[in-house]
Amino acid sequence: MFAMVEEPLDIGALIQDAQRRDCGAIATFVGTTRIDESEGAAVEYLEYEAYRPMADRKLEEIGAEIEGRWDVRHVSIVHRLGRVDPGEASVAIVVAAPRRGPAFEASRYTIERLKEVVPIWKREIWSDGYVWVGSQVGTRDQASGFR
Amino acid sequence: MIKVLLFGAAADRAGTRETELQVEEGVTLAEIWPRLTEMHPDLAPMRDTLAFAVNGEYARKDAGVSPGDEVAVLPPVSGG
Repeated sequence: MFAMVEEPLDIGALIQDAQRRDCGAIATFVGTTRIDESEGAAVEYLEYEAYRPMADRKLEEIGAEIEGRWDVRHVSIVHRLGRVDPGEASVAIVVAAPRRGPAFEASRYTIERLKEVVPIWKREIWSDGYVWVGSQVGTRDQASGFR
Repeated sequence: MIKVLLFGAAADRAGTRETELQVEEGVTLAEIWPRLTEMHPDLAPMRDTLAFAVNGEYARKDAGVSPGDEVAVLPPVSGG
């Protein structure tokens, strides 16, 4: 399953969907929203947006890519959009394979690739302004790029 | 006309998520950039950080664009 969703991720259901008789391993990567603090200010939540349907297609392409490189039998990549609160899962990757090696490798590759090519952007909403991650554009003093 | 979509920090700097440009057949992405920054000068400093897509696929700056195409201005992605 490749999806972008606005509601909290049901990791248990994603793992259950990956269970197969011909697989001996399910590798799960869950990315969660880490809260940074600096100089008395803190991140209150994150907000994600995507270029759809390009982003949906890129998730499917990554799935096809790892199925071509490793012997994996099931791949799910699900990413949150909109507001994600501290500590919540923003992305879940579940890979089932006959052997654990390919399951681990393919899940690692999937998150690295997602961060490189899938057109999704996150904005940190701080107590004193916001910052677009990766561009350092925003309303906080620290977001000084391109002034 | 082409439709230009802007995302993330680029939409923020431009103050809009979508705009239209009049182009002639065979113009390149590199050639439409000055027209875009003329309309939205705050985008100009982001130039080197941006990627572009034409009709939903990454495209190089020398890629051609035709009337009716959808061009997307993509800041460094930050999913995950």
